[in-house]
Amino acid sequence: MTSTSVIDELKKSQILELLEQGKRVDGRALDEPRKLMIEINAIPKANGSARVRLGDSEVICGVKIQPDRPFPDMGDKGIFICTAELLPLSHPSVETGPPGPDVIELARVVDRGIRESHMIDLSQLVIAKNKSVVGVFADNVVVDYDGNLFDACAYATTAAILSSKMPKWEMKDDVPTLVEGGESSVPVTTIPVSVTMGKIGNYIIVDPNGDEWDSMDARITITTDSNGNICALQKGGIGGFTFDEVIKCGEISVKVGSKIREKLKQAKEGGQ
Amino acid sequence: MENKRKYVIPGDVITTGPYRPEQNVILDGNKIISTAIGISEIYDDSIKVIPLTGKYIPKIDDLVIGKVVSHTSLSWELDINSCYVGFLPAQDVFGRDFSAHADELSSKLKSGDLVAARIANFDRTRDPLVTIADRDLGKIDSGHLVKISPSKVPRLIGKRGTMIQTIEMATGAAITIGQNGWVVVSCETPEGLLKAKKAIQMVDEKAHVANLTDQVKEMLESKGES
Amino acid sequence: MGGRDTTLVLLDENGIRCDGRKVDEPRRIMIKAGGLKNADGSAYIEFGDNKIIVGVFGPRDVHPKHMSNTDTGILRVRYHMEPFSVTERKNPAPSRREIEISKVIKEALEPAVMLDKFPRTAVDVFIEVLQADGGTRCAALSAASVALADAGIPMRDMVAACAAGKAADTIILDVNNEEDQAGQADMPIGYMPSLEKITLLQLDGVLTPAEYKKCVETGIHGCKIVYELQKKALTEKYFGNGEK
Repeated sequence: MTSTSVIDELKKSQILELLEQGKRVDGRALDEPRKLMIEINAIPKANGSARVRLGDSEVICGVKIQPDRPFPDMGDKGIFICTAELLPLSHPSVETGPPGPDVIELARVVDRGIRESHMIDLSQLVIAKNKSVVGVFADNVVVDYDGNLFDACAYATTAAILSSKMPKWEMKDDVPTLVEGGESSVPVTTIPVSVTMGKIGNYIIVDPNGDEWDSMDARITITTDSNGNICALQKGGIGGFTFDEVIKCGEISVKVGSKIREKLKQAKEGGQ
Repeated sequence: MENKRKYVIPGDVITTGPYRPEQNVILDGNKIISTAIGISEIYDDSIKVIPLTGKYIPKIDDLVIGKVVSHTSLSWELDINSCYVGFLPAQDVFGRDFSAHADELSSKLKSGDLVAARIANFDRTRDPLVTIADRDLGKIDSGHLVKISPSKVPRLIGKRGTMIQTIEMATGAAITIGQNGWVVVSCETPEGLLKAKKAIQMVDEKAHVANLTDQVKEMLESKGES
Repeated sequence: MGGRDTTLVLLDENGIRCDGRKVDEPRRIMIKAGGLKNADGSAYIEFGDNKIIVGVFGPRDVHPKHMSNTDTGILRVRYHMEPFSVTERKNPAPSRREIEISKVIKEALEPAVMLDKFPRTAVDVFIEVLQADGGTRCAALSAASVALADAGIPMRDMVAACAAGKAADTIILDVNNEEDQAGQADMPIGYMPSLEKITLLQLDGVLTPAEYKKCVETGIHGCKIVYELQKKALTEKYFGNGEK
């Protein structure tokens, strides 16, 4: 994220030299994401939560579930809202105050991946049609930065939703009232997984770390669902992709995504 | 009190009595208190603490490694891993007949370039003035940048340069140490590079250990494992 | 989880509190020095169910420039709660409460840090409350001291903090969330043990002069417990287990 700091030129040229030999600065294969660690229920007081470390990028996502008024034109649907924030302790270049365009894009791309995959069945989150629905709020905070926050936030959000316990409400005297002991899981239809790829020279690399992020010409984030379909996408950066590259990125996102989906499932099982 | 060297953290009372407080200690009543994480040393009647963490504070004549972060039409700004930004005037590179109209600074040094520089002037009222106009100074064209805590640079150099010589001899690497904790390593062989980097990181992590030189030697002599 | 405030017994006949502690016993405290890769210094604290991370940057350039002081470095503190840290989702915008706590924590740390050697610079302390459970300011202040020391900021002493208070007509150490809500008084204290100086002191609630004295004594006792854990956290990071 952010135009962080200036990468030193020596490192930048080393990154490209290594790619010409089919290697990466940290020894990974071109289509290999970094080590992913998922801790479920890191914030026990939230309805659901996950602490995710992707390489040295670390994100905490907390899910709060509470009754809310539906959007005017969507009285038969619950609400899902996803935010992301770069905490100032995550990197010296991060400033406090309202989020900049980079951070807003981050939050929206993560939100879109969850929303467009229809991960959460929002039609099951209605307490009283047109009056009261259940709202699922997923708030991501970035604690440490080392590139590719798109995937780190997406995995944290997905893991936090999967781990969530949803209370139950019923209308009493026109007010949503908590039903004791009515907890259930959030109704989930699929597990979306985003895979972010960077382009440096003519090379496509999966899950760029901070140095690669600062060196790349363009990036693409592709979210796939459990059926292996592509459901959301975002190209970024000032460079461009060829048709062939875009197709290849689609294939990589399905292949790499399916492995990460297994990890997300395992993390959920482990957290139960 | 038998052991004169002690591990201390801020607030630790090192001793009481008629001692002279030197670096990184304060006197409170008759208590000598450490203000840093480090190792306390008592010499005759004076007490100081050698810190193990903290930012680089520029000193005149120090060799530092800097990274160009920006420039105006008259000067470059260098990140020297300090509380202050290094200031490199255009004259230092273009000479006295530098002209802001004719000479384009980015033709010589651009954002992201690494340089070996010396602190030419610093008095805390303004940003440190650096120079690259000397032998062995200037733009660095090859090598790998390794970052360590500036407080551990003396340990990496070792007594009369013993530590750094040990590492260079065992790996065949050429190592330039900036007093600001930035170190450039160049090596013909990838194995030598890897080992040299590992040795430098080891010094950074274990600077407080007494027999560090032996531990580093042992690592350097070990075969194969990365 | 049936217990509501109406049935809550703050102190039973054996002198045991609602969470099983004795009157002079703090909650479980865990402090870790370091942990963040990009910050110059950092610390993590769990204090009861509070979970707080602190990152420190600096001394470094001051932006905006007009805030800088040519005689000394300046200290800046931001105390911030995550939206998911409290029962009801918190609005991400800074609240008046967060701004006040940022200020009192800054003023509690000022007597400890020595920034006169770094004119025109700033030291930034970023406090992030991941989970709140009563007494966040004391936990945050204690962690901030460790993070500042980790960053190598010169300090006269570390500031340790703990609250004392009054519930069921008894002076208690380390007020938890229930005791804060249903109790009679809450007094957070920040203290520099080696210099024997109080740097943070607030009080909500009514105390007799005798209780007031007892409350300050109890709080200082708590600070000394926290202080030992702060020292342990830094010793572990910098000197491993091989003490001395």
